[in-house]
Amino acid sequence: MRILFKICLPVWLLALAAACSAPDDFPVKVEPEILDDGATTVLRRGNGAEPETLDPHRAQSVGASNILRDLYEGLISKAPDGELEPGGAESWTISDDRRVYTFKLRQNALWSNGEPVTARDYVYGLRRSVDPLTGSAYAQILAPVVNAGDIIAGDKDPQSLGVEAVDDYTLRITLNQPTPYFLGLLTHSSTYPLYEPVVQAHPSNFTQPAHAVTNGAYRMSEWVVASHIRVVRNPSYWDDLNTGVDQVVYLPITDVASELKRYQAGELDWTAAVPVPQLDRVRYQVPDQLQTVPWLGVYYYGLNVTRPPFRDSPKLRRALSMAIDREIICERITRGGETPAYSWVPPAVSDYEPPQADYAGWARERRLDQARTLYREAGYGPDNPLTLELRYNTSESHKKLASVVANMWRVNLGVKVTLINEEWKVFLQNVRQRQVTQVYRAGWIGDYDDPQTFLSLLHSDFGLNGTGFSNDRYDELLDTAARTPAGEKRRALMQQAEALLLEAQPVIPVYFYTSKTLLKPYVKGFVGNPMGHYYSKDLSIEWGGRDELPGAELPDDAS
Amino acid sequence: MIGYAVRRLLGAIPTLFILLTLAFALIRTAPGGPFDLEKQLPPEIEANLQAKYHLDEPLYQQYGRYLWDVARFDFGPSFQYRDLTVNQLIADGFPVSLRLGAFSLLFALMFGVPAGLMAAFRQNRPTDYGLMTLAMLGISIPNFVLAPLLILLMAVYNDWLPAGGLGSPLHYVIPVIALGTAMMAYVARLTRGAMIEVLRSNYVRTARAKGLPTRVILFRHALPAALTPVVSFMGPAAAGIITGSVVIETIFGIPGLGRFFVQGALNRDYTLVMGVVLFYGMLIIVFNLLVDLLYAWLDPRVAYK
Repeated sequence: MRILFKICLPVWLLALAAACSAPDDFPVKVEPEILDDGATTVLRRGNGAEPETLDPHRAQSVGASNILRDLYEGLISKAPDGELEPGGAESWTISDDRRVYTFKLRQNALWSNGEPVTARDYVYGLRRSVDPLTGSAYAQILAPVVNAGDIIAGDKDPQSLGVEAVDDYTLRITLNQPTPYFLGLLTHSSTYPLYEPVVQAHPSNFTQPAHAVTNGAYRMSEWVVASHIRVVRNPSYWDDLNTGVDQVVYLPITDVASELKRYQAGELDWTAAVPVPQLDRVRYQVPDQLQTVPWLGVYYYGLNVTRPPFRDSPKLRRALSMAIDREIICERITRGGETPAYSWVPPAVSDYEPPQADYAGWARERRLDQARTLYREAGYGPDNPLTLELRYNTSESHKKLASVVANMWRVNLGVKVTLINEEWKVFLQNVRQRQVTQVYRAGWIGDYDDPQTFLSLLHSDFGLNGTGFSNDRYDELLDTAARTPAGEKRRALMQQAEALLLEAQPVIPVYFYTSKTLLKPYVKGFVGNPMGHYYSKDLSIEWGGRDELPGAELPDDAS
Repeated sequence: MIGYAVRRLLGAIPTLFILLTLAFALIRTAPGGPFDLEKQLPPEIEANLQAKYHLDEPLYQQYGRYLWDVARFDFGPSFQYRDLTVNQLIADGFPVSLRLGAFSLLFALMFGVPAGLMAAFRQNRPTDYGLMTLAMLGISIPNFVLAPLLILLMAVYNDWLPAGGLGSPLHYVIPVIALGTAMMAYVARLTRGAMIEVLRSNYVRTARAKGLPTRVILFRHALPAALTPVVSFMGPAAAGIITGSVVIETIFGIPGLGRFFVQGALNRDYTLVMGVVLFYGMLIIVFNLLVDLLYAWLDPRVAYK
């Protein structure tokens, strides 16, 4: 008994002490994993949720895409800063009517089994991607290609897709109409080539390490579901000489607090996120390890414009938008370097300058005065306050923001807001049905680096338009822009569309996302890009032993 | 006894059938489906997926198809983990959960039973109070509080143990403590209570009167009887613990079965949820049977024919 007491008590006391004192230090073990041979470097990446599949044509999640970028290479690739660069295609030409793209493939590109990557592999991949039997969620990425829409709908044979292998190393893709952002689409995993023999032989598990044949910088080595995925350098890759990290281990960690602890304990080199409550400590204690990068995404509140109170009442919608103090939200609530959203398209989008809402630069008082005026003009006031339901999916951060916004509407306008949280799938169904939902929280992350990916969300033909917004002029502007070659004219069309959107306000943009990750100082070569698309091959681990890091914080007893 | 066991197992089939039917009905009444995502699928593609997984058929047909598959122990493909079948997921996850759960049970019994016995022998003395206070603490501190504290203490502030994942035996230490502590505390309290009662019983008094040594009285006569409530508690608890703990698995990144339960339900992964429910149901039935058989062994008054 005494012994038990002696063992238990100190443990409890220590645990309590650790809990209560919340020490100011923030130990982070800085030491990479290098395999026993002393040379093989391993990058350990936190990767969010377990990937649903590693079939490039069926993958949807960010986590799966991260891994697929390392395993496969599409025609077009991306430099660390996000700029497009040649991938599997060495060069390409675009016809005068901008509808026919001819790609010259690299003759030295090989699959991980040593076979050459040919135009037929791309043709097979692209056809498979739009084949209804594949069940790809992202087949729409290929919609600009001739016949893709009909094939997806099951009306035409996948063989009729507008892609053609002219010879082993020449691929021709024909589009329905000029699509200025088409090359960017070709970085998406749903356009990757696949090695047909292995897919035919193992249709349901060609993604497993035992079978997978890939053409990227890495090949599959281990996949333990919910534990880790390990990929190792692919010596057949044409640019293998420049692959920086020898192995990558992806850890599916959904709990950000646990991820941080494992990072601190030296089990991770790169996190997928940073818990918001820990941001201040991280920023203060290990500022050089925190990577904050603007991300192509907007956090917004959608308004159901098909039903009262928002139907036919742009004034009310504008009043609600103006009554939100976005600076306060970014400074006090989100706190991760997010920027207030006064436009719909994030300013981080390349080659575009989003128009700002007119009240963007106004002083707070003027903005609120105008909001109250609009609110009154919409027919509401102290005697006749608006009552609203604001829905969000269950999450601490959404809840916090919703209560802040509800309070701003209550104080600034006198709106009575009821907050309703809903389980994810219930929430999605309600948004989609547009019956009970009035205001809902939402976020939109761009699929490619072009304003189109944001603006098309509110096109009346677009299935995901939860607000029910439908405006002929807006649709027409977007349709025209889609046919217009990149340049001043197209930019102007999209700016007009966006200005119209901000005026009609079916959505209330709140802030633009940033991605926040922790990266160990020995990982070199990281350059942030707004899509958050990174290739592990561009990173390297430089480690000369612990002596190199005099300033790094090490746990006291680490020796 | 074998006849009894066989009868019990046969009798479990209707129970499992009802369980399966209820699970099917419940998950299908939940709003939304496996293909409802934030980026909603274009209708054509959603239709393709529905057809691929037979979700476009009438419910009774899907139910029939599922029953037929289950009868052949085929739980179908997972909706969420597209490259894997539910059978594979269970086959991969269960051994991990089993190992972790078994160690936690062992940990709970190894420390819980002796602590309970000690407290019973020293009833109402400082030892008893001390141990029972600790046990109360152990029961009241939830594992989602205990686990992060242990990680901070043993992995972050000190470099003693890994903070997560599974690899070496060392990886098990913190999760086992976090998972087993509450059970250990509960076992200690149960053992103490039962032991105190047994020590006051007539047959123990008789044994004392006969002049038997204390050691024999305690371990041969009193202990088996005192363990009966512990055994009846351990049956369902063991089934629960070896099918995995969502909290512990999420915190430590352990690839066990528990997470599939919750994730499956949240993702509306119909086949995964039903597969895990059924598997869990079978385990509970088996463990309850084992417990009943153990009773007969511990208590001569109980006999099964």
